[in-house]
Amino acid sequence: MTAPTESETLLEVTDLRTRFRTPAGTVRAVDGVSLTLDRGRTLGIVGESGSGKSVLSRSIMGLLPKRNVTCEGSIVYDGREISSLPPAERRKLWGADMAMVFQDPMTALNPVIRIGRQITEGLRFHLGLDRRTANENALALLRSVGIPEPERRMKQYPHELSGGMRQRIMIAVALACGPKLLFADEPTTALDVTVQAQILNLLARQQRERNMAMVLVTHDLGVVAGRADDIAVMYAGQIVEKAPTATLFANVRMPYTEALLASIPKLDEPRRTRLKAIPGRPPSLIDPPPGCRFAPRCPYAQERCHREAPPLRESEPGHVYRCWYPVGVEPRRDGAADRTDTPTPTGAR
Amino acid sequence: MPEPATDDPVATDAEPAAGTPAETEAPTEPTTVDALVEEVEAAPTRKLGVLGWVSIVWLVGITLAALLASWLPLPDPDRSYLEIVRVGPVQPGHLLGGDGNGRDMLSRVIFGARTSLWISVGAVGLGSVVGGVLGLVAGYFRGRVDTVVSMLFNVLLSIPALVLALSLVAVFASAEQDVSDTRKTNVIILALAIVTVPLIGRIARASTLSWSEREFVRAAEVLGASHLRIMVREVLPNVLPAMASIALLGIAVAIVAEGSLALLGVGVRDVPSWGNMIADGRSDLARAPHIVAVPSIATFLTVMALNYLGDVVRARFDVREGGL
Amino acid sequence: MTLARELGKRFLSLAVVLFLVTLFTALLISMVPGDPVDTLVPLAESEEADALKAQVREDLNLDEPLHVRYASWLRDFVFGDERGEHFGDYFRVSGRDPVSNRLAEALPVSLQLMVYSQVLALVVAIPLGVLTAYRAGSLFDKVTNTGAFALMAVPTFVLGLALAYYIGVWLNWVPPSGYVPFGEDPVEHVRRMVLPSLTLAAGQIAVYMRLLRSDMVATLQEDFIQMARSKGISDQRVLWRHALRPSSLTLLTVAGMNVGTLIGGAVVVEVIFSIPGMGTAISQAIFERQYVALQSFVAVLAILYVVVNFAVDILYAVVDPRIRHARARN
Repeated sequence: MTAPTESETLLEVTDLRTRFRTPAGTVRAVDGVSLTLDRGRTLGIVGESGSGKSVLSRSIMGLLPKRNVTCEGSIVYDGREISSLPPAERRKLWGADMAMVFQDPMTALNPVIRIGRQITEGLRFHLGLDRRTANENALALLRSVGIPEPERRMKQYPHELSGGMRQRIMIAVALACGPKLLFADEPTTALDVTVQAQILNLLARQQRERNMAMVLVTHDLGVVAGRADDIAVMYAGQIVEKAPTATLFANVRMPYTEALLASIPKLDEPRRTRLKAIPGRPPSLIDPPPGCRFAPRCPYAQERCHREAPPLRESEPGHVYRCWYPVGVEPRRDGAADRTDTPTPTGAR
Repeated sequence: MPEPATDDPVATDAEPAAGTPAETEAPTEPTTVDALVEEVEAAPTRKLGVLGWVSIVWLVGITLAALLASWLPLPDPDRSYLEIVRVGPVQPGHLLGGDGNGRDMLSRVIFGARTSLWISVGAVGLGSVVGGVLGLVAGYFRGRVDTVVSMLFNVLLSIPALVLALSLVAVFASAEQDVSDTRKTNVIILALAIVTVPLIGRIARASTLSWSEREFVRAAEVLGASHLRIMVREVLPNVLPAMASIALLGIAVAIVAEGSLALLGVGVRDVPSWGNMIADGRSDLARAPHIVAVPSIATFLTVMALNYLGDVVRARFDVREGGL
Repeated sequence: MTLARELGKRFLSLAVVLFLVTLFTALLISMVPGDPVDTLVPLAESEEADALKAQVREDLNLDEPLHVRYASWLRDFVFGDERGEHFGDYFRVSGRDPVSNRLAEALPVSLQLMVYSQVLALVVAIPLGVLTAYRAGSLFDKVTNTGAFALMAVPTFVLGLALAYYIGVWLNWVPPSGYVPFGEDPVEHVRRMVLPSLTLAAGQIAVYMRLLRSDMVATLQEDFIQMARSKGISDQRVLWRHALRPSSLTLLTVAGMNVGTLIGGAVVVEVIFSIPGMGTAISQAIFERQYVALQSFVAVLAILYVVVNFAVDILYAVVDPRIRHARARN
């Protein structure tokens, strides 16, 4: 499948900035994000609501509306700069090269079009298949995503299926034309707990079988923990920490990541505590604070944090973070004394 | 937001249908993109704006002119001046020229406003009171009362409005050979009011249905307030904006209906109205188009002003189900 | 299942509405002030006139109580009277003249006019609505919307007169009035129907376009539209295949409800353009005080309207399969 000349890197995003013009002001939803993704690998993007993680994946794909939105930066896909492509050229990539699985299967399938047609549409459009072949492909797809009685499903409408079933359909739609890169935008958030694992496993299996790269967007570190090769944590439109999964969990540097980790539900606890454990709210993206964006909520924040924005620093190969006083680096250069004075917040340690 | 999915009985994955608590608790994420875009794309929140003020100024102006018509320094609208027969604007002493009989157009359009506005405002006022009361009662008490009242509305809506008004006026006002204009005016008002009743009534009912579910109404009930008091003090003030927006549109519709009736030959005859001015001017359309144009423009501006203000009220109070 | 019950409920309500509508029209004559017969038979005092009056009084059961009058009217309306006439007679000096003849001529003409204008309205309004929603906020959108708003404020009769005068008389492109049956001369038929259909369609175009635009703007925010776009299909296809149908429900409702407005508008348009349809027939009947004819015309139009609305209601299910399962209408 992989041509010998191809490089390992599938996607390279450099300094991506997405802005929305709104009546209230310009929202910097994605503010200078850089990342790379190799073929067949999985990148987990984790963050709270409003951290810009959904906008990020849509910006990379180019799915955002044209008006009142500006998107700058470089996006190199498969060795080709795609950010400057005209919309029609860019669109050719959608479905065929990169595809997206949306969060809410209740609203992301067209309620008035039969399942079959929603799957075959892309096949016929991109691959120019005739109706028969497209239908056969769709049946095979439905089987591969674990849909029982695919012939019958083809003729049904989305509302006739359960949520998990619909998410499987959506995955089938996204996989239809064999994309090399799949964006899964909170693919399990809207689903029942018991179904979540099934869907994640399905995604992982499909990814393995197809040697497809995946960007798994979620607010739940627990979701990406065992599934992503690398994890990028986003906060207020920026990547605040990024590392290979094992490294990240072993050596957390950014207090925000630490707080996220602390809020992963334990198996024996009711799962709902999640991010609510972090006090306060993310800053406004219209006029972000001058210093570290997490400073107002950070239990370790110092005077400098409020004044100066920390750059992205590398602590070990592949592990970058954005913090003046990183967690676990002892003794801290100038904050060690302060830190012992600061009462340790409950739930953070 | 998720609708209860009819879970498939044959599904082999042991997955419960969506809609379980876990699902509703999950934060819905991509609000960022969509909410932002929505904010930008949504129709601008209707403020009154320049057009709104222009509309108000026009309506107030035309209403005042109509009310004060008798005291304004205008020529007699029924008197013929030979020198302005079919003469268009602008003439000394006769700003808008004269009609086919040499009557002063400016004077006639202002006296015509009196008739047209009186008929339309009277009809919608009467229709709103009756429709409002019926809708309020139906929406508040529900059950059998609602069934009967809704059926009444349905029946009234089942006859095309203009045809209903036309037959009512025809039956009540042209029985005798010479029907006085006052009687004809009253019958037209009554007929148009009957047409208005279900339009206002349905919106009042729908609005009452939703408002009477609210906590403060429940609270008043628990505190032992009488039904009448609750309806008038708690529900009515909230239902009024919805009714007002429809009533404004209703007045516009009634003005046009008056014109249509005049054109069909069952309108008022002896006093000028915008409708009968247009109907009279038809025969001179080729020679003196201003005779039709002047009352037409007056009608157009008034209807547009009313439509605009109706839209503003509707947008501001988020009135749904504005099916006119 | 519940669908059958739902249908049953709808048929029941249809029956009740039809009953009350016919009751109203049947008793229209009884509302005439004074002795209706004097109005119905506007003939000078004479023996023939008196005889005719007596016969009319008996035929219409004017001396009977209201329920008998209604029952006999309904019976005649549905099954025909002793001469097989369903819609009563005109009373003329020359004698009685069945209304059915006039109805047979007038109704098809009015239906033609209404169908033409409705088709014209939808053909113009749907693309405009879709495009303005797609380009929401653009100059094209603003201009079109403002134009539509202004168009809604132009009374039908004003537009009709203006078109008849400027296009018909002044520019002399098409005849300003009159009617030619399609069978007689198709080209001339179309030429004569252009202006009336356009007049009747204009207001509807504005209403439909604005409705579709606002629903479409809402639909375009939906996740499933993002999903469709992410498949890489063309914007055209997203708009027409994915967005139009879910957005057209309100349009369909209003188009159905609008049949009433359309009938009212047709009455006016026919009179302006001298088209021998129901409107002309009704205004003639009023002018000649032929209330029996008027009664029948009103009844026919009302029934037509009720049945069309019923059909539209059923049509929803076809447009939106979700409704087949959960009808969330009050």
